[in-house]
Amino acid sequence: MRRLVVILALLFVVVAATAEERTVAIREVTVLGHRPMKEIGVQQTKLDSVTLKENVALSLADVLSFNSSIFVKSYGRATLSTVSFRGTSPSHTQVSWNGMKINNPMLGMTDFSMIPSYFIDDASLLAGTSSVNESGGGLGGAVKLSTRPAENRGFGLQFIQGVGSFKTFDEFLRLTYGSERWQVSTRAVYMCSANDYKYRNHDKKENIYDEEMNIVGQYFPIERNRSGAYRDLHILQEVYYNTLRGDRFSLNAWYIGSNRELAMLTTDYGEGTDFDNRQREQTLRAVLGWDHLRSNWRTGVKAGYIYSWMAYDYKRDPGNGIMTSMTRSRSNINTLYLQGDGEYHLSDKWLFTANIAAYQHFVLSRDKNIILQQGGTGIVGYDKARVELSGVVSAKYRPIERFGVALTLREEMFGNEFTPLIPALFLDGVLSKRGSVILKASVSRNYRFPTLNDRYFLPGGNPDLRPESGFTYDAELSFKVGKAERYSLSGSAAWFESYIDDWIQWLPTTKGFFSPRNVKRVHSYGVNLKANLTVDITKDWKLALDGTFAWTPSINIGEKISAGDQSVGKQLPYVPRLTSNVVGRLSYRSWAFLYKWCYYSTRYTMSSNDISLSGTLPPYFMSNISLEKSFDFRWADLSLKGTINNLFNEEYLSVLARPMPGINFELFLSIRPKW
Amino acid sequence: MSSLRHNIQLVVAIMVLLLTTATGCMRWEYGTMEEFRVTESGLLICNEGNFQYGNASLSYYDPETKSVENELFYRANGMKLGDVAQSMVIRNGVGWIVVNNSHVIFAIDMETFREVGRITNLTSPRYIHFISDTKAYVTQIWDNRIFIVNPKTYTVTGHITCPNMTMESGSTEQMVQLGDYLYVNCWSYQNRILKIDTRTDTIVDSLTVGIQPTSLVMDCNNKLWTVTDGGYAGSPYGYEAPSLYCIDAESFTIEKQFLFKLGDAPSEVQLNGDKNTLYWINDDIWAMDVTADRVPVRPIVESRGTKFYGLTVSPTNGDIYVADAIDYQQQGIVYRYTAAGELVDEFYVGIIPGAFCWK
Repeated sequence: MRRLVVILALLFVVVAATAEERTVAIREVTVLGHRPMKEIGVQQTKLDSVTLKENVALSLADVLSFNSSIFVKSYGRATLSTVSFRGTSPSHTQVSWNGMKINNPMLGMTDFSMIPSYFIDDASLLAGTSSVNESGGGLGGAVKLSTRPAENRGFGLQFIQGVGSFKTFDEFLRLTYGSERWQVSTRAVYMCSANDYKYRNHDKKENIYDEEMNIVGQYFPIERNRSGAYRDLHILQEVYYNTLRGDRFSLNAWYIGSNRELAMLTTDYGEGTDFDNRQREQTLRAVLGWDHLRSNWRTGVKAGYIYSWMAYDYKRDPGNGIMTSMTRSRSNINTLYLQGDGEYHLSDKWLFTANIAAYQHFVLSRDKNIILQQGGTGIVGYDKARVELSGVVSAKYRPIERFGVALTLREEMFGNEFTPLIPALFLDGVLSKRGSVILKASVSRNYRFPTLNDRYFLPGGNPDLRPESGFTYDAELSFKVGKAERYSLSGSAAWFESYIDDWIQWLPTTKGFFSPRNVKRVHSYGVNLKANLTVDITKDWKLALDGTFAWTPSINIGEKISAGDQSVGKQLPYVPRLTSNVVGRLSYRSWAFLYKWCYYSTRYTMSSNDISLSGTLPPYFMSNISLEKSFDFRWADLSLKGTINNLFNEEYLSVLARPMPGINFELFLSIRPKW
Repeated sequence: MSSLRHNIQLVVAIMVLLLTTATGCMRWEYGTMEEFRVTESGLLICNEGNFQYGNASLSYYDPETKSVENELFYRANGMKLGDVAQSMVIRNGVGWIVVNNSHVIFAIDMETFREVGRITNLTSPRYIHFISDTKAYVTQIWDNRIFIVNPKTYTVTGHITCPNMTMESGSTEQMVQLGDYLYVNCWSYQNRILKIDTRTDTIVDSLTVGIQPTSLVMDCNNKLWTVTDGGYAGSPYGYEAPSLYCIDAESFTIEKQFLFKLGDAPSEVQLNGDKNTLYWINDDIWAMDVTADRVPVRPIVESRGTKFYGLTVSPTNGDIYVADAIDYQQQGIVYRYTAAGELVDEFYVGIIPGAFCWK
């Protein structure tokens, strides 16, 4: 296999060397030197549009797997994917889109497989303390997603068609109109796939019987991913208006219509055609914004609305050909959002900011239809509303160019409960101008309120849950060197440590259902390394390499739950200690080659870290490549791109009993007409 | 030109280095099959595992040597037991393990633990009860039917449809038999015991008890015992103090009712070998003579500050085995007490030990 790859690489180089076409722009190098006051001490990973728009078929979960040290737990292809920072849980990651929090208020987490990367123009990952500037509750961190005007003039159109393995079709369309004051954009992504990839099932065996039903042979079957088809439609409408006198207005509306089957487990002996296990979602998120900019102050107002309808159906054909409901669960979420913020530069040395955000959630959850004791039917579920307020003020001070300090204070209210004050302190200083060596440090306290399901879900919701609380400190040393139009090399090393108390966990009860309890105390700490190299080898040859490495022990340091508890002092389940990824881009004129690689170390599936037969998930490497060729015609820009995912056809698992696809291919054709 | 060539060589070198160091190498455990030959009697423990993670397992404990073997099914068969191992019974040297969310019942040889066959085409099986060598009943959750199977051919041969149940609210659980009649408790959002004529496979009677009867046994005097969990606060089905019921099987009437406190969660009614002492979990472990008229004031085993999950009593010497699932994400622990309530042994098994089966 290695030989094949080497040959492929050589082949690419040879083909590239003989080609003569227009140069493709590769990743822009941000010019260092300017350090915004707003970002004093803030540690963040920014994903640029080259990374985000690399492949129309990718969700943000896919992008994060290969471009950050954040941990992505994926239940399969186009299936629930959650992300977590530094060994925390997915609900410790706060996610905002154009300023509005989009974490599901019932579950607390966000499904990143439902965010097409083509819809995001800017993404920032803010770990630990750095998240306090954006929102409360980010005990792990925050992911800040936003869109921005395309800054085009006149009409523009882009269409991309992707065709791939497992009957996968991805389509992307973008229409833009731009003038001096107006920017209008409509984007649509439609993705569908039978998603019936083949895999060898190591968890079960098929039997061969003789006539008397004695087993005479057994084998591990090659199976298809059963019942895993999906069909997702996303539409994003944006309108921006700039008065050119310091006022900007924006409207962003994002519609999701998703219909996904939930694939059967590797240990399921049911017939795929007998069952229908399906999740559907209709979501609309809309944000209206106004920004008022003056020379030394700025103010802004945002109003938003989220509607989300989610349906889960588990049906079975009892033998009469009619799929009959076994579980029929529905939830409706309506969220109103209002936010105001302001910034004031007192002088070059002082910046003050303030922000207050209000959310009003209305949640109707209906989980089961039952026949009541007295006859008639009843519904098991809950109907709750909750107001959430979050206010933050900060003062940032940079007395000399080389040193800055910032203090942020946040206060949150959920329902009628207030968190204690959430303070965060940030420092940064330039240790050496030569090499741009910068040291950043920060410390904060943080709280996360239980979700609506944690409190009210029937059965099991626990109204007595306390908020989780966290304490984090971190430091980062970074450098950047380079020579204009020759090379640039930057890197950083970060160390962090955090404690989370009253960690909420859903545990079964003796009544056959789960109920959340404040059980754990967790200590996570570790090191995060990042490096970026861009080299203009010649005028035509350009190389960019990005790499991250993270070591994140995340240890349960709570009391024993009972005398037999063996989980104290152990790594949390499903949190890898080591993760790493590398992305390499090599371009020659109109050719571009991309290599993506990521690594996850062993994940324990048990809190006691047993190395039993199903107690661990083996470590794995994943490699994806793509090759793109652009054509510049008089009437249009065209590009043709081929991708190979799971290049080495790895058999791997991200979650027990959920097989992942082997090697697979997709071809993309992109057209951008010139009017 | 030479510098271009030099640069290309450099790029190729970098690429080759990248690609060759980055090739895949996931280590995957292919199941090897271990040889077992266990002729002694002992205790089998079904470890449910986590719902939807397919990590159920089977453990075996030898009370004589106090030794335990874990992950028996995987080790003997080179494949996983599946998702939520709910219950197990042994008949004629063959163990039948009901794996609820894998939609399968495995039949294993009780000396080698190797699979001898499997029943599929089930909805969500919970328990299996043998009527004869060629007929067994399989109860379900999320199905309003009890499945009739032929264990000889491993096939589903028919169904018994339960009245006043939809697929969605369907729940039939444990079964006990007296003569030609079989009794089954209906648990999830239910409050009934059904009586089935095994000759005609029809439901002939039903008896209303309290909310959600969780388990069912029959004592030496042919009395049925069931304990309800009372539902939960906010349930549209109702929420009440749980009760322990003694039901005369013959007349199918409630003879005694012992009321617990609202909020108690009694479960796991069990009997000793002579079927004259009743045991259950209600935080502590309680024991009561089947002829008693009131519940004892003190438990036989006090709670260890945890919620006990599974319970069984040795049919030979009356030792009490009680399982603690701890945080439900690690090996559970089983505590073994004498009939008098003294701790004899403790051993770790698999994730969420829920059901026991005596060999």
